[in-house]
Amino acid sequence: VTPRFTSTQLDALRELANIGSGTAATALAQMLGQEVNLTVPRALALPLADAVDACGDADDTVTAVLIPLEGDIAGVVLLLFQIDGARALCRLLGVEAGSEVGNSALREIGNILGTSYMNGLAAMTGLSMEPSPPHLTTDMLGAIVSSLLAQTVGASNMALVLDSELEVAHQPCSMSFLLLPMRGGASDLLAPLGLAQVEA
Amino acid sequence: MGEIAVSAKADDVLVARGLGSCIGLALVDRAAGVAGLAHIVLPESTDGSGGPGRFADRAVPVLVAQVLDAGAIRRRLEAVLVGGAHMFDVAGGLNIGSRNEAAVRHGLARAGVSICASATGGNIGRTLRIAVSDCAITMNEAGSPVMTLLAGSPSWPTGATTSQRSVSK
Repeated sequence: VTPRFTSTQLDALRELANIGSGTAATALAQMLGQEVNLTVPRALALPLADAVDACGDADDTVTAVLIPLEGDIAGVVLLLFQIDGARALCRLLGVEAGSEVGNSALREIGNILGTSYMNGLAAMTGLSMEPSPPHLTTDMLGAIVSSLLAQTVGASNMALVLDSELEVAHQPCSMSFLLLPMRGGASDLLAPLGLAQVEA
Repeated sequence: MGEIAVSAKADDVLVARGLGSCIGLALVDRAAGVAGLAHIVLPESTDGSGGPGRFADRAVPVLVAQVLDAGAIRRRLEAVLVGGAHMFDVAGGLNIGSRNEAAVRHGLARAGVSICASATGGNIGRTLRIAVSDCAITMNEAGSPVMTLLAGSPSWPTGATTSQRSVSK
């Protein structure tokens, strides 16, 4: 069973990602007192074999904050920092990267951004979304993303990835935001917009 | 994810990058210079849909058949397992990693293929490489040096024992 999305549906999902990451960018800008830029998000419906590559180099070591979504829709919000980005962010926050305090600060940033992202989506769709406590890990990008995809796609051969990038202006600090809806999660997101005709 | 590759070309290197809960299953016949690799995502297929490489129950027999087709001899086959980690301790996590590993081991036992090395479990990502030229199999974790799991060179059948190494955590 393979979910297919029309271009209208992908546009709508991209717009949702835009609103979610816009809300998160505002939160980050307020927290850091720095300008935060936002790239145009992507909504990608991809065969599983290509989904990890679309998120970056599978071998890259990244720091990830993972926030499982519960409530009206199920899925995972994932915030990925390149090593340099994590270091720069820790410096802006005045904590040491890689230390217990540094990790704790990144986890909290991830929590605030992830929650802002969800609030943006919730405001747009009227769905209730409850973030679970965040998890932080530093590992290979491929290992992180593929393990989550394995849980979210079930028997489906297609993965839906909503991807946006935030960049702190004048700092070597960018991060990507991924929303990986569980099976059915994408339909639930689209339904309030009157676009829920997703098979599977 | 979900792919199967088989090669008997000496120039080829088969790679499964960033294995987390997935299993990279390497099957080699060092004497014949044939290698196969499956990137297995889930333990079993529920409805028979999707490519065979994604599910352990279907991927193992398909990979065995493909390496035999490419010139390998069944009794010389050696298997190496990498991956099957538990990356996130999320409540209600399905522990796919260890279920994947169990399903692959079960499939190999049914196919009569012995496992000569593995690097599985824990909460770390791994990358697996097979150099088809000598069928050497190596593995590395994020930011760690490369380890050899199966030495290259066609030592079969003169070497009575093959090098065995397990770094299961």
